[in-house]
Amino acid sequence: MELIEAVGISKRYGGIVALSRADFRADAGEVHALLGENGAGKSTFIQILAGIIRPNGGTLHLAGRAYQPANARAAEAAGIAAVFQELSLVPDLTVAENIWFRREPLSPIGTVRKRREREATLALFDRYRIPAPAPTREVRRLTLAERQIVEIAKALSRDPSVIILDEATSALPPRETEWLLQLSQDLAAEGKLVIYISHRLAEIRQIAQRVTIFRNGATVATHDTAAVDDETIIADMLGRRMDRLYPPRIATATDRTALKLRGLSVGDRLADIDLDLKEGEVMGVAGLQGHGQRELFQALFGVSRSRGAIEVWGKPVAIRSPRDALVGRDGIALVPEDRRSHGLLLSKSVRENLTLSVVPRFTRFGFLSRSRERALVDEQLRTLQIKAGTPDQLAGTLSGGNQQKVIFGKMLLTQSRILLLYDPTRGIDVGTKGEIFRLMRDLAAKGYAILFYSSDLPEIVNVADRVAVLRNGKLAAILSGDDISEHRILREAMVEARAA
Amino acid sequence: MTMTLPSPAKSVAKRDGDAARDRSTWLIDRAPFLIACGMLAVLVAIYGTLREGVFTFEELNLDTAAAMTLLLAATGQTIVLLRGGIDLSIGGMISLGTVLAATQFGGSPLQVAFAALMIALLGFAIGVCNGLLISVLRLQPFLVTLATWSILSGTALMILPTDGGQLPDFWMAFGNASLLGVSSSVGLLVLLILFWVWFRGTRLGIEIRATGSNQRSAELSGVSILRINLLTYGLSGLFAALAALYLTTQTGTGSPTIGKDYILPSVAAAVIGGISLFGGRGGMIGTIVGAFILTIIGNLVFVLSVSSYWQPVVSGVILLIAVLASSLAEKSARRSLS
Repeated sequence: MELIEAVGISKRYGGIVALSRADFRADAGEVHALLGENGAGKSTFIQILAGIIRPNGGTLHLAGRAYQPANARAAEAAGIAAVFQELSLVPDLTVAENIWFRREPLSPIGTVRKRREREATLALFDRYRIPAPAPTREVRRLTLAERQIVEIAKALSRDPSVIILDEATSALPPRETEWLLQLSQDLAAEGKLVIYISHRLAEIRQIAQRVTIFRNGATVATHDTAAVDDETIIADMLGRRMDRLYPPRIATATDRTALKLRGLSVGDRLADIDLDLKEGEVMGVAGLQGHGQRELFQALFGVSRSRGAIEVWGKPVAIRSPRDALVGRDGIALVPEDRRSHGLLLSKSVRENLTLSVVPRFTRFGFLSRSRERALVDEQLRTLQIKAGTPDQLAGTLSGGNQQKVIFGKMLLTQSRILLLYDPTRGIDVGTKGEIFRLMRDLAAKGYAILFYSSDLPEIVNVADRVAVLRNGKLAAILSGDDISEHRILREAMVEARAA
Repeated sequence: MTMTLPSPAKSVAKRDGDAARDRSTWLIDRAPFLIACGMLAVLVAIYGTLREGVFTFEELNLDTAAAMTLLLAATGQTIVLLRGGIDLSIGGMISLGTVLAATQFGGSPLQVAFAALMIALLGFAIGVCNGLLISVLRLQPFLVTLATWSILSGTALMILPTDGGQLPDFWMAFGNASLLGVSSSVGLLVLLILFWVWFRGTRLGIEIRATGSNQRSAELSGVSILRINLLTYGLSGLFAALAALYLTTQTGTGSPTIGKDYILPSVAAAVIGGISLFGGRGGMIGTIVGAFILTIIGNLVFVLSVSSYWQPVVSGVILLIAVLASSLAEKSARRSLS
């Protein structure tokens, strides 16, 4: 009997299946790694373990007994503590107040015994050698890495028998990473179970006895880490996929550079990116979640402050706000990450959404010209095949795919010929996905330059002419031609770059 | 791969750096409060040069009595602001409280005590209703309390259309009573400070701050948002009722429209004292300083014998300075971090 036995766990959100048949077995006294691509269902699974969401099916046993936590507190009471990427700390409380929140030592008049709380915090730090900031510091003043460590300390303070670390090292600098790897091994040696989620194969090899791999919401395999090679692990993560979805890739890139980046940096998330995007080219941007893709797109659209040089069609530009990026035929247009809150005004009509950014194109002497507006709107509805009853239908009532087409139409109407597409097919049905890929290739053939990120790696592999792979905010490789494969991209994105 | 531990020399240096950073963030975090203290000191100094006998117990008694209604109202407001909400209904509650006191107080001390208790409980109950509407119907606190303010004000006018009513003499004597030169108002101020020192250290006090700071995190840690809303708005209503009761000891009448004079000043006192409108940050001591700043401005305008319309003008300028100070402090803190 193993400590955790999960069999056939499934979870659906409406029509979307996050987990279909996840099996997971892990025993006390081991570090057990959980691996899978973005969206493979790892997060859903550990949220089920941590009592945050409830599964639709399957059985779950903890130490031989049926385990169905009603909420996060029930999971904690059962001895399961999870450290998530989305941090749960309260910014305006101190480190000590956060660790013991709602479990504070109280005096007879009901006030918190601050000194005892502080001492307990220091004792905790001491016991696990936690490289944590001073207990009296406020969390909102801490760096991301420090917060991550406080989060781990909070989990340890409950003395759990199962501790789940979700990409905990992704925010940590090398010294703290070493500490966490050592700690995981120590906890396992004490007889606890550590479930360790990471994309860093080297870390997994260093500390995990077994590795379970998820793909598309299902368990593919569980291996002894010592007995399996990297190639098998990566192959298990990728599986085989069909590729009829994708239009033929005909090179249409010219010698003209549409967008030239030199030494582009954003905070400490993106460093020294040199990139040349050609006219008529679709360039994919790939990398594991949180390695700088979002920052790159935000910098180009003027949402994040960046350093370094940007040239658009040969002219140096400074992009400080979206207005700087948008302007006219020489501008840059973005399909944003979250279409419902950033891309569309859901309570406005399709017509208004399409023409919002381009009102000057059909105004004369400050007055709107309805006929010109109508002509522009009809043209977009036709070319994009947007399925709306009338142009006055509210955007919020359209399907996800048609909403995304409206955003494309809005972007095309700006006449910008550099397009930034950030995950444009997320949550969209397969048919519309195909239409969007064909549209991308058509636009490239017309001389548009397209920078394209997708959370679904095969899309990048099958649509992009070249692929820029980011790792830890740096450009790890630019792949082209036959070098573009999921395998190669994953290797470039994952090969350990941990500073020695 | 071997485990590398930080060398002792390095961690000592790091700790020194931490301490220096702690000191500077301590200053930055309290900048709005410290600036408020500075402004109060300057205002008192100016006041002192313009008038004799400012630095006496008698003056302290008078000023505290003048500030106490606002202080009580602002205590409730502070609790709600820390939770990240706002309570405009206190204006209606104060009007209603004075009107009820002026019409329902009987002659005997026992009747008066009973009626006063009922008014306090009514304040709490109305606050709980605010909290219920905000939580259950998921409505904006600003709009909910604006609506209840209007309802309560109208109710007060129905009970007593114009200023008037009767309050027993011993009730008003309480407002002017003193013990060894310390007036009842200063006594109340001490009680208020003691209450706050206790309240902010309780688990509830921490949960309120946590909810104001980040509701999602607080909820994930098991805080019941409904309970927090009921209690914070309930306490705000209770303090508004207490403010009304105190006010009647000073004015001796019920006044169906007086409450509106306390709505925005209660928010202003808190903000001047360093409370963030986004919740989670600041404390009652700052609010007390803020309330005294607003009161002293009133005194100054009186002493300078300029038009009383200058009072809101100067108060507004002080409020702007306070808001600017906290925004600058926040920006510099962010810069020093990145």
